[in-house]
Amino acid sequence: MPIFKFLSSLRLTVSLLGFGMVLIFVATITQVELGIHEVQAQFFRSWIAWWDVMPGETKFPIPIPGGTLLGLLLIINLLAAHTARFKLSWNKAGMIVIHSGILLMLVGEIFTGLLGREAQMVIREGEILNYSSFPREVELVVIRPDADGLETVTAIPQSRLKDGAQFPFGGFTVNVHRYFPNSEILPEADASPAFDPVRATDGSGKGYAARRMPLEAADNRRDLATAFVEIIPDSGKSQGTWLLSNAFKGEQSFTAAGRSWKMAIRPRRLYHPFSIKLIDFSHDRYLGTDVPKNFSSKIKILNPDTGENREDLLYMNHPLRYGGLTFYQAGFENNDTTSIFQVVRNPVWTLPYISCAMVGFGLLWVFSQHLIKAISRRNKPSPAP
Amino acid sequence: MSRFQKITAWLIPALCLLYIAIAAIRATRPATGFDFKTFSSLPVVSNGRIQPLDSLARNALLSIHGKQRVPGDDAPATPAAWLAELNFQPARADTRKIFLIHHDDLLGLTKLTPSEGKSYSYAQLLPSFAALQPEARRIGNADSKTWSPYEKALMSLTRNLTLYNQLKHALALPGQDHLESEFTQFLSTIASALAEEENQSRGQAFSQSAIDAASAPMTTVLDWTPMTEVYTTPSGSGPDAWKKLPDSLLESVEKKQALHPATLAYARLGDAYRAQDITAFNSALTDYRTWLAAQRPELLKKATSETFFNAIAPFYLCMVLYVVAFVCAIVSWLWNGSTFRSAAFRVLLIGLSLHTLGLITRMLLEGRPPVTNLYSSAIFIGWGAILLSTVLELFHRNAIGTAVAAVVGFATLLIAHHLSLSGDTLEMMRAVLDTNFWLATHVVVITLGYSATFLAGTIAIVYLLRRAFGSIPKSTATSLRGMVYGVICFATLASFVGTVLGGIWADQSWGRFWGWDPKENGALLIVIWNAIILHARWGGMVRERGMMVMAVFGNIVTSWSWFGTNMLGIGLHSYGFTDAAFLWLSAFMISQVLVMALGLVRERTRD
Repeated sequence: MPIFKFLSSLRLTVSLLGFGMVLIFVATITQVELGIHEVQAQFFRSWIAWWDVMPGETKFPIPIPGGTLLGLLLIINLLAAHTARFKLSWNKAGMIVIHSGILLMLVGEIFTGLLGREAQMVIREGEILNYSSFPREVELVVIRPDADGLETVTAIPQSRLKDGAQFPFGGFTVNVHRYFPNSEILPEADASPAFDPVRATDGSGKGYAARRMPLEAADNRRDLATAFVEIIPDSGKSQGTWLLSNAFKGEQSFTAAGRSWKMAIRPRRLYHPFSIKLIDFSHDRYLGTDVPKNFSSKIKILNPDTGENREDLLYMNHPLRYGGLTFYQAGFENNDTTSIFQVVRNPVWTLPYISCAMVGFGLLWVFSQHLIKAISRRNKPSPAP
Repeated sequence: MSRFQKITAWLIPALCLLYIAIAAIRATRPATGFDFKTFSSLPVVSNGRIQPLDSLARNALLSIHGKQRVPGDDAPATPAAWLAELNFQPARADTRKIFLIHHDDLLGLTKLTPSEGKSYSYAQLLPSFAALQPEARRIGNADSKTWSPYEKALMSLTRNLTLYNQLKHALALPGQDHLESEFTQFLSTIASALAEEENQSRGQAFSQSAIDAASAPMTTVLDWTPMTEVYTTPSGSGPDAWKKLPDSLLESVEKKQALHPATLAYARLGDAYRAQDITAFNSALTDYRTWLAAQRPELLKKATSETFFNAIAPFYLCMVLYVVAFVCAIVSWLWNGSTFRSAAFRVLLIGLSLHTLGLITRMLLEGRPPVTNLYSSAIFIGWGAILLSTVLELFHRNAIGTAVAAVVGFATLLIAHHLSLSGDTLEMMRAVLDTNFWLATHVVVITLGYSATFLAGTIAIVYLLRRAFGSIPKSTATSLRGMVYGVICFATLASFVGTVLGGIWADQSWGRFWGWDPKENGALLIVIWNAIILHARWGGMVRERGMMVMAVFGNIVTSWSWFGTNMLGIGLHSYGFTDAAFLWLSAFMISQVLVMALGLVRERTRD
């Protein structure tokens, strides 16, 4: 079968690896403009990636195969090649081990993409938190404070926030007039005509104007998501327009359907069934320099389900693994009083370890065979060139 | 081999050993006059680590002047002697032309007339401070990635002026010419003022004038502290217990003690230097050294070893040896094969031993695995390539391994030398990287992968050059092919394992195995490229010549991963941004493309 022959050919392997190099190189240089997260989505987790060969004003994108496509084709190529040329012998066994390891690694990377989650916990000394947040995603929350001090939170994900989107609640509708994934917010007096004409009539955004901005590329900058929302009760008369943004701290309140509500745009949260308390953050620098020597966070884990109440110390290269999550000491701010943890869930984190061991062992095996052959073949000096 | 040939094959290596011995003797020979040799080995803390004054002076001079030698006929002969002059006779040091200004706009701003060597003294620059400072503030507010060449030059000049000023206040206070008596005076003035204040608080009779007398000297000392970042006085145990000179005075006051021996020593050294009293200078040194040997022997030992290491400069000696080995290897090809081949290989082994000793010394001084920054990666890449080529030479015995090792060794040490111009090469590790286990595994293995890929590429260059400008006998071609193939296999193994170990480190320390960071991508490119070569070879897509051309491209891929990714200035790994390196990298890559083009030249067979 010619198609099978093609799929199992070494020529395909070499071409796919060649395309892989092009993709990785282009993605690396594009990171300067797009930032690492955008590049991951557009180049490595995509079927087709667009390479802008002339960066700058005039765009001239050409398509190149994306990471998902290449990964899938490589897996097919690998499986086909081994099916076509399968032969169990000591000579071939090393190759089979190497390629199984690589297969496992590719599969692991796909599952990490599907199942892995990366959030952050920004916690002040003394604070107790039972959630982490996704710094690059926002949600619009509408909160109904209940009588017993509890709150019912309705979160609208970022993907559903669009100009003109409407979200009916019992008794009123939240009407999104404008939604800017990234924006600039200025006092009305300083705003140029380029700013959006919509204004807030109530809340902390009154007197401010906003306009859409391109998404931030740099790793250390965050997008300011902004929405103008109008609250329209079922009776029909507008309650007013609010300017919501993750630039504002805290929630804004409004009244509808005979009770008070709160709403906000904030980083999307991931709630945990336990709480973390930051007892102390400490940070040393090398004498006479600003170079960090170490930083560590003393925390307490509070789990009402298991009754756990214990202290732990997190520091660089020493994460805390708890409840299927791993907490890493990632940074600090506010004069060393706030600690930042990277919170990661990756159920397949063991796969790279296994595949690395397999490939390393297999390579050693195969190349030792080569070496032994070479030594036995050549034990005489070769003449000078 | 005739008797003459045998002698020659040993004579050249023997001369090389003699050369090293002379360098070692010169490094240990005691000084005459002012004992700047002992002075240079006094320990201080700067840049977060314990180091001898010698390293402090050398790195400062490299950063400011780009060389370790101060220009001028009457100039101090060693960096440490310059440091002594800077602290103890600053007015004279200020006339040394050590500041470099290459940019014309910057020269215009400072209103200096262009001078020979483009170097200027602190005194010449002093009038321009009023113009420099607002510019530096303006530029400092902008993102350093957007700086123009003029702005970069200005910022670097400002940084160097700051460094110079901080060093000037490290061991003395300019303007105070009799430090020992002034320090003692200070202690007694403050002590009596404190006693009077206590009387005052108890309601007893007290002398207001004695209290007032303390205020001016106290202000002087308090103002001195922020002027320097050098910690001179080991006042307690532990790395953070060091004190700057002025702080040590305050500590003596607080603890009602006499001057600390270190503080006293620097005061005496300064006074003796100004008085041109060699005996007093040297005896102050002896006193302090005796105290150190008795009380803090570990500091003295570390500082002395580092001073010796600096003085002998093993990597510079290695460069010389590699040139000798290369020349001998070439001679062996052109004339009298085995004599010069043996000589070349022996010289290479001497170089390798010295290179290894240098690496081990650095590891001991730092307490770290061999590769901790860009500088040490260059040293280690050269070392790894030479080690691999030694194995090749033992197998093939045709001087190709020696010649290639000498080229890679020389080139990487030259790169290391240029990287060392940016400052302290034994700097402390940032917290993120502070783990010896991963530095010893991931970093070492991946760097060996770089070594092997460069080595394969260099052997391939030998093949392509010989093929284009002559012809290769079949047996040599087979031998070269075997070398390149074997080294590529090793490169694949090392770069794969190294890359994945890096992923595992990342998973352990910040929770993601792979983040598509530029440096990670660069490492992955090397792995994939080596895999491509092997698959193309196995699939019969390329033959001997094709494999050689591909191996040369490996040089481009590796240099991209090593330097190119750092120039992007993004990502977790971009710890080694260098500017002028960009031109060199481009030139290197173009040269490699030209060599690859040689592969197109039609074969001239001569079997």
